[in-house]
Amino acid sequence: MQDLLYFFQQLINGLTIGSTYALIAIGYTMVYGIIGMINFAHGEVYMIGAYTALIAITGLATLGIAWLPLVLIVALICAVIVSSSMGWAVERVAYRPVRGRHRLIPLISAIGMSIFLQNYVHLAQGSRNIGFPALIEGGFQFGSEDTFPMSISYIQITIFITTLICMTALSLFISRSRIGRACRAVSQDLGMANLLGIDTNRIISATFVIGAALAAVAGLLLGMYYGSVDPLFGFIAGLKAFTAAVLGGIGSIPGAMLGGLILGVAESMTSGYLSGEYKDVVSFSLLILILLFKPTGLLGKPEVEKI
Amino acid sequence: MAANNFRHALFCAIITLIISYPIIGFNLEAQGISVTLTGADTSTVVLVLLAAVVVFLFQLFRDQIMGGLKSIPSPMPKTQKEPMAENKRAKIESWVLTGIVVLALFWPFFVSRGAVDLATLVLIYVMLALGLNVVVGLAGLLDLGYVAFYAVGAYTFALLSQYAGISFWMALPIGACLAALFGLVLGFPVLRLRGDYLAIVTLGFGEIIRILLNNWTAVTGGPNGIGGIPDPTLFGMEFGRRVREEGNTSFHETFGIAYSGEHKVIFLYLIALVLAVITALIIRRFMRMPVGRAWEALREDEIAARSLGLSRTAVKLSAFTIGAFFAGFAGTVFASKQGFISPESFVFLESAIILAIVVLGGMGSQLGVVLAAVAVTILPELAREFSDYRMLVFGAAMVLMMVWRPQGLMPMRRIHIELRRQE
Amino acid sequence: MKTSVKKLATAVGASVALMAAGQAAAEIKVGIAGPMTGPVAQYGDMQFSGARMAIEQINAAGGVMGEDLVAVEVDDVCDPKQAVTVANRLVNEGVRYVVGHLCSSSTQPASDIYEDEGILMITPASTSPEITERGYELVFRTIGLDSMQGPVAGNYIASQGPERVAIVHDKQQYGEGIATAVRDTLQDAGIEIAMFEGITAGDKDFSSLVTKIKQADVDYVYYGGYHPELGLILRQARQSDVDAKFMGPEGVGNKDINTIAGEAAEGLLVTLPPSFDQKEENQELIAAFDAKGEDPSGPFVLTSYTAVQLIAEGIEAADSKDPFDVAQALRTGSFETPIGTVQYDKAGDMKSFEFVVYEWHSDGSKTPVN
Repeated sequence: MQDLLYFFQQLINGLTIGSTYALIAIGYTMVYGIIGMINFAHGEVYMIGAYTALIAITGLATLGIAWLPLVLIVALICAVIVSSSMGWAVERVAYRPVRGRHRLIPLISAIGMSIFLQNYVHLAQGSRNIGFPALIEGGFQFGSEDTFPMSISYIQITIFITTLICMTALSLFISRSRIGRACRAVSQDLGMANLLGIDTNRIISATFVIGAALAAVAGLLLGMYYGSVDPLFGFIAGLKAFTAAVLGGIGSIPGAMLGGLILGVAESMTSGYLSGEYKDVVSFSLLILILLFKPTGLLGKPEVEKI
Repeated sequence: MAANNFRHALFCAIITLIISYPIIGFNLEAQGISVTLTGADTSTVVLVLLAAVVVFLFQLFRDQIMGGLKSIPSPMPKTQKEPMAENKRAKIESWVLTGIVVLALFWPFFVSRGAVDLATLVLIYVMLALGLNVVVGLAGLLDLGYVAFYAVGAYTFALLSQYAGISFWMALPIGACLAALFGLVLGFPVLRLRGDYLAIVTLGFGEIIRILLNNWTAVTGGPNGIGGIPDPTLFGMEFGRRVREEGNTSFHETFGIAYSGEHKVIFLYLIALVLAVITALIIRRFMRMPVGRAWEALREDEIAARSLGLSRTAVKLSAFTIGAFFAGFAGTVFASKQGFISPESFVFLESAIILAIVVLGGMGSQLGVVLAAVAVTILPELAREFSDYRMLVFGAAMVLMMVWRPQGLMPMRRIHIELRRQE
Repeated sequence: MKTSVKKLATAVGASVALMAAGQAAAEIKVGIAGPMTGPVAQYGDMQFSGARMAIEQINAAGGVMGEDLVAVEVDDVCDPKQAVTVANRLVNEGVRYVVGHLCSSSTQPASDIYEDEGILMITPASTSPEITERGYELVFRTIGLDSMQGPVAGNYIASQGPERVAIVHDKQQYGEGIATAVRDTLQDAGIEIAMFEGITAGDKDFSSLVTKIKQADVDYVYYGGYHPELGLILRQARQSDVDAKFMGPEGVGNKDINTIAGEAAEGLLVTLPPSFDQKEENQELIAAFDAKGEDPSGPFVLTSYTAVQLIAEGIEAADSKDPFDVAQALRTGSFETPIGTVQYDKAGDMKSFEFVVYEWHSDGSKTPVN
C-alpha cells in the first residue's frame, strides 16, 4: 500500500512537471513545424516570463494589493505581454533576416540570441536566485500519517488545469480560426501558402508570439511551484522542453503534450527509484533511443525526402 | 506607404519599450529576508527611452538608411568584383599561414608569461576548431556535443597518468585514438539522423558524458576532478621546480640555468603550436583526398552524392571520427596545461564557443578558423574591464555575424572551374 | 587580408604591453583572486570587501616594512580555466602574495602555478582538504576544512539521537566533500543513513527528492551544498509536510535562503565559523566596515581580512619579502587576528578552527545552539 502511494506520488510529481514541459514545448514544436528551425532562445523567453511575473507580483505587493485572483491575473497578463513581445522581437531581429539560408545559420543565430538574453537578464537583475512567493499554498492529503501520506497541492492542480485549458484552446485555435488554418497551410508548404495570399511573415510572427505566450504561462506557474528564479534556469528547461517536443514528434501539438508528460514522469521515476543524479542522463538517453528507432517521434509524420 | 511606415515604426518602438522597460527599469533586490522592487535610476530609464526612440527613427527612415548604406562603396570592392584566381589565393593563404607559424615560433621569447599562456589556450581552441571544422564546415554535420570528445581526451590523459603513470607523450596518441573511437561508436547509430535531429542528439551525448564524468566519483573523482596531471617532458627532462618522477632530470639543472616557470609555459606553448600545425596539415591533406571531396559532396547534396555511389555512413563516420580525434588531441594538451581538470570545463557553452569559432572563421577555411580562434579568445581578455558585458556582446556578435556576414571572416572557396564568358 | 593580420598583431602587442606595464614602484603587490561575476559573485564580494579593508588599514598604519600594499584584483568567475589564466596574469604582474581563490575547484589548479612560481597563497574560503594535502610549501588558508566542518555537523546530529538520517549533496567539490564527512561521522556513531544522494546544482524541481525523503521517514536531513538549492528543497519539503529537521554547511548560511524558502527556513541548522563580527575585540573593525556601508557579517569577510593581515605580519616577522621566508614565519609564529589566534601546522592549515552550530530563523537571524 505504501509503495503504491509512493508510486502515485511520484507519478503526480512527474505529471506536474511534465505538463509544464509541454507548455514550453509548444513553442518549439510550432516554430519547428513551420520554419524548420530550433528556436534555442525559447527557454530564455520562458525565463523572462517568470521574471516579469515576479516583478509584477512584487510590484503589486509593494502597492499593498494582495487579493490573490487579481495578483495572479495581473502577473499573468504582464508576463504574457512581455514574453510575447520578446518572442516577436527575437524572430524579427535574429531569425527573419537569416531565414532561408543554410540551416546552420539560423541555429547559430538562435544560440547567440540565447546567450544574449541570458546575460541581458543577468545584467539587469543580477545572478542571484530570487525567491518567488508561493501564492497558492496547501493541498489535499490521502492516506494516514503513519503509512505514507500522499499529497496533491493546489498549485499542482492549478498547473494541470491551466495546461489542459491552454492545450485545448490552442488546438481549437489551430483547427478552427483563420490564423490557425493559415498556420497549418504555412507549415505544409511555405512557398505555396505565400502564393495563395497568406502573409507568411505575419503567420510566422504569430507562431512565435503564441509559443512565447504559453512559455510565459509556464514561467508564472513554475515560478510559484518551484520557488525561485535565476537567469540561467531557462536554458536547461528549454532543453528539456525541446526534448519533449522531439519525443512526441516535432511539429505535432498533441505530440508535445505527450512528450512532455512522458519526459516528466520518466524524470521523476528516475529520481524516485534510482537517483536524482541520473535524471538528465535518463531523459537524454530516452531522446536518443526514440530518435534512433522512431526518428520522427511518437506522433510525428514521417519526413519525405524531397528531391 | 508613409503612414504604414509610421505605424510600423511606432509598433517597433513600443515593443522595444515592453521588452526592455520591465526587465531593466525595475530591480528585484533581496533586502534582508524579503524581495523588494526598486525603480532603476533616471539615467537607465532615459537610456531605455532613448533606445525606443532610436528604434522608432530607424524603422521610420529604414529605407533611406538602408539605401544610404548601400550607396557607400564597399571597402573591398575589388575582391568582390573579380575574385582572385583560385591558385593564387590558395598560395597567398598558405604563405600567410606559414608566416604566422614562423612568427608564432619566436614570439613567446619576447613577451610575458601571461601572454604565452593565453596563446596556448588560443592554440588549443585552434585545434578544436580545426577538428570541428571537419565535422561542421566540411561534412555539414552539426555537432553540438563536440566538447564530449575533448573531455574524453583530457580525462584519458588524466586517468592514465593517475593510475598507470603514463607520460604526456604516451597519452597523446592514446587520448586522441580513444576520442576517435568514441566518435566512431557514438557516430555509428546517430549519423543516419538528419540535420537538427543530429544536432540535438549530439548535444544529448555531450551532456550525458559530462554527467557521467561528474557522477562516477570512484574513477573520475566526480566534481573534485583530477589534479596533479604531469607536464610534458622533453627527452625525460621535467620543467617543474622539483623532479616528480624517478629517473627524470629537471630541465634547469641539466642546462645549468636558474629555474624559471617560463620555461614550462613556453615549452607547452611550443608543443601546442606544433600540434596545431600538424592538425592543420593533416586536415589540409584530407581535404584534398577523395574522402575530403566526399565530405563536401555529401554536404552540398546528399541525394546526389549517394546516387554517385558514395556511402553515406562511411563518409559521415570518417568525418565524425577524424573530428573527434583532434578533439582528443586538444583535450590532452588542455589537461596538461591545466594540471587539473573537472567536468566543469566541459559544459555545453564550450561546444557553443568552438562552434562560434568555426562559423566566425567561415566554415571550412583554415586561415579563417585560426583568426577566429584568436579573436574569440583574446578579445574577451582585452575587454576584461567590461567583463560583465563580455558574454552579452558575445551573444549579440553571434547573431549579428549571422545576419550580416554569415560566410564568416574568411569564407572558404572551393576549387572549381568557372566557365569563361565569351568576349 | 594583410591589414587584418597587422591589426591583430597590434592588438596582441598592445595587450602584451598592458600586461607588462607597471612593475617598478616600491610597493608590495597583493593579488586578490575571486569571483566578481558569475553565480557565486556574492561570496566574492565578501572576499574583496574584507581584503580591501585590510589593505586600507595596513597602509593607513604605515604599510609593511615602510612600503604600501597594493591590491591587484582579478576575476576568476569560479571557473577553473579562468583561474589558471588569472593566476598567470598575477605572475606577470610580479605579484608574490595572493589572497584567494574562493572556490576550491579554482584554488586547486591556481595553487599549482603559485607553488611553482614561488608565490604565497592564502585562501580565505576554500575548504576542500585536498588543497593542503599535496605537501605544498606556500599554500595556507584562513578557514577550516570540510573534514573539520563535517564532523561538527555529524556529531551534533548524532547527539540528538536520531534513528535515520538522509544526506543529500549537490555533486560539487564543496558539497559532496562535506556530505561525505558527515556520513562517515554518523556511520561511526552507528546511525543509519537512510539515503545518500546527489542532485544537480542549478536544478529547480526537487519534488521527487522530497517525496523520497518523506518516504524514507528520516529525522534529519543533511544537505551539502549552497543556499539556492537548499532553499528550494526546504520550501518544497514544507509543502509536502516533511517534518524532518534540515541542516547544512556555511554555504547555506546566507540571508538569501530566507527570500527563497520563506517560513520554511525557520529551524534550519547551520554550521558556521563563529560570528567574528559579534566578537568584543572586533567592534572597532566592524564599525569601520559600517562606516564604508559594507556588511561584515558574511562568512568570508573577516577571513579575507585576516589573510591580508597574515601576509603583512608574516613579512614583518620574517623581515624578508621572500615568500618562502614568509611561509616559514607563518608556520612558526602565532598571530592575533580578528578570527582569533592563528597558528599553522605543516600543511598550511590552522591548528584550530572552530565551527559552531547555529539555528537559522525565518527573519534571517541566527542563534547558537550549543
